[in-house]
Amino acid sequence: MIAALAAILQSATPLIYVALGGMIAARAGIWNLGLEGLMIAGACASVVGVTQSGSIAVGLAVAVVVCALGSALLWFVIEKLRANPVIAGLGLSGLGLGGTDLAVQAIYGNEASVHAPLALPRLGPAAGDFAGCSMLVVAMPFVVAFLWVLLRRTRFGLRLSACGEHPFAARSVGVDPARMRLIALVIGGVLCALGGAELALGRLQIFSVGMTAGRGYMAFAAVSFGAMNPIGSALAAAFFAVVEYLGIKGQLAFGNAAPPELILSLPYLATVLGVWLSSRIRGSAATISELREY
Amino acid sequence: MTSRLLTVGRALAFVAIALLGCAIVFQLAGYPSAGMFGAIVAGAFIAPHAIVHTLRWAMPLFITAVGVLVAFRCGYFNIGAQGQFYFGAIAAAFVADAFGGGPPVFVIPLAIAAGVAGGALWALWPGFLRVRFGTDEVITTLMGNFIAALALLYVASGPLKDASGSGEVAAARPVAAALRIATSSGVSFTLVAIVVVIGVLMWLVVDRTAFGVLGSLAGRNPVMVVWQGARSSRIGLAAFLFSGGLAGLAGALELLGPSGRLLGGFAPTLGFSAILIALVAGLSVPATAVVSIFFGGLAAASLYLPVIAGYPAAAIDIINAAITLLITARAWPSFTRRSRAAA
Repeated sequence: MIAALAAILQSATPLIYVALGGMIAARAGIWNLGLEGLMIAGACASVVGVTQSGSIAVGLAVAVVVCALGSALLWFVIEKLRANPVIAGLGLSGLGLGGTDLAVQAIYGNEASVHAPLALPRLGPAAGDFAGCSMLVVAMPFVVAFLWVLLRRTRFGLRLSACGEHPFAARSVGVDPARMRLIALVIGGVLCALGGAELALGRLQIFSVGMTAGRGYMAFAAVSFGAMNPIGSALAAAFFAVVEYLGIKGQLAFGNAAPPELILSLPYLATVLGVWLSSRIRGSAATISELREY
Repeated sequence: MTSRLLTVGRALAFVAIALLGCAIVFQLAGYPSAGMFGAIVAGAFIAPHAIVHTLRWAMPLFITAVGVLVAFRCGYFNIGAQGQFYFGAIAAAFVADAFGGGPPVFVIPLAIAAGVAGGALWALWPGFLRVRFGTDEVITTLMGNFIAALALLYVASGPLKDASGSGEVAAARPVAAALRIATSSGVSFTLVAIVVVIGVLMWLVVDRTAFGVLGSLAGRNPVMVVWQGARSSRIGLAAFLFSGGLAGLAGALELLGPSGRLLGGFAPTLGFSAILIALVAGLSVPATAVVSIFFGGLAAASLYLPVIAGYPAAAIDIINAAITLLITARAWPSFTRRSRAAA
């Protein structure tokens, strides 16, 4: 039971970081569909950084810089070029997926995956079942709490939320929504970098092309499911991880009774269930639709 | 008309910027980019059979894009064209497989109808969730794409598996030759005729019927339409059904035409390209036809690029993504601004 909890916690952590990144952008008024691309860029950049430099810190720093730049690019396209946020976000995701593929081929030749020589520091045997948890897993609850305080209890956080809820009101007290969105997107990019780094360096020590497999889009759904709240988004992301874990366990237990494609589609089905539930609970306040054409 | 030309011109300018950005990135990554633009033009229009390849891709793109356009006009962001396309192909494949020996005059229309139904059904559930519960269709249709891709993989390597295949690629049994409406070149009289008829029909539906007009109004101002006594939920469901049905039709035509069999993950970027086409064309059916040919050329060229310029397949994904990122710049807001002025 405890071992299962540890496993779920580990597989949920990347998703939670990315969901938090999407949450903070959504609060500022941008539904970031580029999460998938930012996550895989973070995973790739961290592995390449670690492999080339031999230092975890450098790897994380490279991932953070790459994802922050990617977020800034999305901000520029949406805010300055007035592109459609949904389409531009999908474009950024495509750039991340294709760009990491090309980067791996350009640096390491015809390879579909790169092994990293180091992993993120882990808790170690003293932690029992949680021995395999990396420092990013340990830090995750604190990040959730920090973001909750930041958004709910500080002037900055309230202003950031105001930019998403009522940009006109924010402007009237002298807050520039465009600048606030840039800050929110860049913070989101940093969180995506951490999520990607945890995905690649937490347990596996490997980057493989397309390894996010739609997790960024699930994190996007978790933002909506979690009502744009840090704790809610984290719980929603954890729920998707639980479904994925149960699917894998089910496949191990029942073998070939169910086709593997069905097991693989469980997290996507859970995501649909999640957004349906959240629309039932909150009524038909379809927030993405409202923000779609600002 | 001038404003529409401006919109298309601006979109093409952003495509050029996207390509330029890609060329710089490829150069930095160690792939020569000098020949890229030449290779794209050659692959789309100049090389032998390039025009045929361009048309081959323009046709499914056009049909799918018209479907996307119907949903977008009605105010629904159906980005699930890819999944609806797959389910259309799957449904048509089952019919073609079950009645493979039957008279083609009956089986071909039946398979096409099954494709339309398959695509429409895969759009129906997000549509129902949207109009009944307000569940955001961006997420549901996006997730639908992933599920459909897995379903395609399952069908191609399961129930319809090609026993003689190597097993490395998920490939289904080929469709009986008598049922094919085009060879692998993808252009035949039947196929072109179907596409033209569908195009004209959809242009009439969108611009000349109560559903089309009310739907466009509902997309711009749902409240007003409800006050005027129209049932917005019914319009919404119809929009999703049309949208999915057309994507499914494209899937069925692809299966009976150029593809000839189900393959795991075939035509993976068709759905998103169709969305781009609809947006660039300012959600107008005639403009969609023109823009489809441009994107068909790009699709044809992208298959040509790895051969000519030695690019890896990922380069094509990057080019598509860069265009996606930039193509709605200004184009979409100008549509809404115009619609607000008109409303």
